[in-house]
Amino acid sequence: MKPRPPAMRAKRRYILVRVLPYGVTPDQKQAYLSVIEAATSLFGDAAVGFAQPAVVFCDTGYVVVRCRRGTEKDIATALTTVTAIADGPVALRTVAVSGTIHALKRRMKPIRPLSEAGETRFAEHCFTVYRYPRQKVDLVEQGIKHQKLLFFTEADLEER
Amino acid sequence: MKVTDASVYPYPTGDSTLARMALEATDLGFDSIVAIGEVGRQPLGAEVIRGVVISAASHKEVIRRVREPAVRRADVVFVNAGDTSFNRAVVGLREVNGIRNIHAARRNAFDHVAARSAAERGVAVDISLAPIIRLRGTRRQRALERYADILSLQRRYGFPLTISSDAHSILEQRSVREVRGLCALFGMTGTEVSEALASVGRFIEPEQPVRVVG
Repeated sequence: MKPRPPAMRAKRRYILVRVLPYGVTPDQKQAYLSVIEAATSLFGDAAVGFAQPAVVFCDTGYVVVRCRRGTEKDIATALTTVTAIADGPVALRTVAVSGTIHALKRRMKPIRPLSEAGETRFAEHCFTVYRYPRQKVDLVEQGIKHQKLLFFTEADLEER
Repeated sequence: MKVTDASVYPYPTGDSTLARMALEATDLGFDSIVAIGEVGRQPLGAEVIRGVVISAASHKEVIRRVREPAVRRADVVFVNAGDTSFNRAVVGLREVNGIRNIHAARRNAFDHVAARSAAERGVAVDISLAPIIRLRGTRRQRALERYADILSLQRRYGFPLTISSDAHSILEQRSVREVRGLCALFGMTGTEVSEALASVGRFIEPEQPVRVVG
């Protein structure tokens, strides 16, 4: 099939979104389902059908959401109402909006743990400790599922 | 102008410590946060303001509670909204800075009489973003309807508004830009959002006439 000439194509915008907590890289399909659910429940089928949101990239703690030009503010608002992806609690923080994925990839700065993961015992539970820049410390309860997440700082960890 | 998140619930109520929430608030564009519960030393990042939320069945109970030492130590005192007579009585109390949980109250629980009284005494009405973020369906629609109603009263009578994330985790905190987007859902303009975010700063440091010293 012959592609449409550029002037006839729908103009798109791409929204770069950071996924919190650090270290979580959601599955692209699960991320798409969460975004669609949030947008549909907030703006309804007609508005979401017009905006055509889609998740086009999902890696290194970032998600890129595509939408029709002019609807990016609404989609960014809908993204703030996403609280979970595949039963895992997350927050999606809008970083930038651009007309190309290439421009957004330049803005991606993957945040990795500073050192090897440690271990600590806290409130009678064993936690894996991940240290991040600016003295941020994430504690992930050791276990198979429904692990508790705690968000501390270096100073909080030293005090306990 | 201080941009303040009017209530967050740090650890042990939530899953993030006060220091981590203050750090996150700075990243999200806030100058200060109101922490509900025990506040220890001042952490790095956003300034932490001590806040208290009073849930009471009658305004007499509120009067008794505001005299407690823990409440007297707090910088900001919020009371959870109740029925019409309760809200009218509460906005008349000198010790109360704001009324919150308005989305959970009955329709018209905060009416024009309470609005006028709140405007005269400078008592704020808190707009919590938690129901907009967490709820779905009719419950969220009801919250948006209540907020739109409060906004129409605010435009008429001019009482202060505050905006809170009611975050129990850093995952529930939202940036100033995201707050603008969420508040636009019930018709709040960017200027009104900026005013509301600065309201808590005005409780802490009220504008007073210039004093000539010496």
